[in-house]
Order: sequence, then C-alpha cells, then structure tokens
Amino acid sequence: MDVYTGVVYPLVLIACAVLAVAGLAALAWPRLHRALTLITPAAFVAAGVQAITVVTLLLSGVDADMILALGYLIASVALLALLGIGRLGTPEAAAGDPDPSRPVLSPLQIARVDAAAASIVAIALAVVSWRIYVILETAA
Amino acid sequence: MNPVARISLIVAYAVLALAALGRSSYQISTKLSEAPVPYLVSGVSALLYLVIAIALWKRWAGVALIGTAVELFGVLVVGTLGYVEPSWWADETVWTGYGSAYGWVPLLLPLAALILLVRERRARAARTAASAAATSGDAR
Repeated sequence: MDVYTGVVYPLVLIACAVLAVAGLAALAWPRLHRALTLITPAAFVAAGVQAITVVTLLLSGVDADMILALGYLIASVALLALLGIGRLGTPEAAAGDPDPSRPVLSPLQIARVDAAAASIVAIALAVVSWRIYVILETAA
Repeated sequence: MNPVARISLIVAYAVLALAALGRSSYQISTKLSEAPVPYLVSGVSALLYLVIAIALWKRWAGVALIGTAVELFGVLVVGTLGYVEPSWWADETVWTGYGSAYGWVPLLLPLAALILLVRERRARAARTAASAAATSGDAR
C-alpha cells in the first residue's frame, strides 16, 4: 500500500500534470506537438504501473470495493486511447475509410487536436486516479 | 464547425460518457433501490453523452443540437432541484450541483457545444441562401 500511496500515485499525478501542461502549450504553440508526442508515452507508463499496482493490491486482500476500483482502473486505461487521436485525421488514415463524415486534418489541426485531447485526458486521468486513491485509502 | 473544435468536443463527450456510464452502471446494477431517481438520471445522462459524442462524430447536427439542448436543460433542472428540493435526491447524480463533482464540465460543455452548433447551423443557412441566390441569378 505504501508503494502505491508514496510512489505510484504521485508519479501518476506528476505524469498527468506534465501531460496537461504539454497539451496546453502545444495548443498555444503547435510547434511543440513533437514534444507532446515524446511526453505521451509517460502517461501510458504511469497508467500501466498504476494498473499493475492496484490489481496487485486488490489481489493481495486489501478490503476495498473491488468493482468500483476495477471500474475506475479500466476507465484510466480506456482514456489512453484518446491520446494522439489526431492520427485518425491524417489523409492516409481517412483514405482507407469509406465513412464520408471522417475529417481530414492538416498537420496544424492534428497538432491542436492532439493537444486538446492530451489536456482533457490528463485532467480525467488525474481525477480517476484520485478516485482510486480514495477507495484504497478508505480500505486501508 | 472547425474540425479541431469538433474533435475536442467529441473527446470531451467521450470522457464524460465513459465516466457517467461507469458510475451509473455500477449504481444501477448494485444499489438502484436505494436511490432510483438519481441513479436513473445518471444513467440517462450517460446515454445522452454517448449519443452526442456519436452524433458529433457522424455529423448528425440535428441530433447533436437536440442532445446538447436536452443536456443543458437537464443540468439546469437537476442542479436547481438539488438546491430547492434536496429531499428528492437520496444520492448525487452527474448533474447534481450543476455538475460540480465533474468540475462543472457538464454545465460548460453543452454551452460550448450549443454555441458551436448554432453558429455552424447559421453559417450553413447563409451558404444555402447565397447558393440559392446565385442559382436564381444565373437562371435570369
């Protein structure tokens, strides 16, 4: 439990903060999109480490609401799918899709979409992680 | 609508749908009898977020417009009733306190979406009128 509260949870919050700042910066200055793409894997690593730690804790017999904790955990992983969603708007991606409503984005628009998505995901991931922390803290 | 704004709205609605679906499905499946009205309201809001996200993606402007209008109405009614008649609400919903538990995003998001959708609708109507005027001019 100490590993989660002392190391993993703060690590996730730091990753979320860095992602949010990078997202907002890239939204204002799309040239920073490259930096955002380099930072994004950190969010994947943080969410992955959190998932492994929480599952280990739940399996080790922590008396927490398992359904709720697992629900938030799944949500934290599902959120990651929205990172880099701008890639779906590249001409190559749109060319292979018969859906006429699929948008084709310019590089600048892709940068802005990725930046907005990163900011939203960072905030949501931080909130979800906080909920998991509260559930585990209450059980401890 | 600007594709960046549209995709950002889709991401925001997808995150809200994920959060509300997770919360309401857990509440409805485990403790519906404790507070049926709040949990069903949360369930309805979750479905609404999902419909709006899909409508924005598929460019179903009418569905998105009606969905966001219903959402805004729901947030205002449930938020107000929460203060006027607190005894009616045995537990919180997604829209309680005008969405305060979600950083007031449930209140701000439909406002932003409505502004963008109405602006898009007006621009489309203006384009149609201009096109019709040009066509009638050519005919003469």
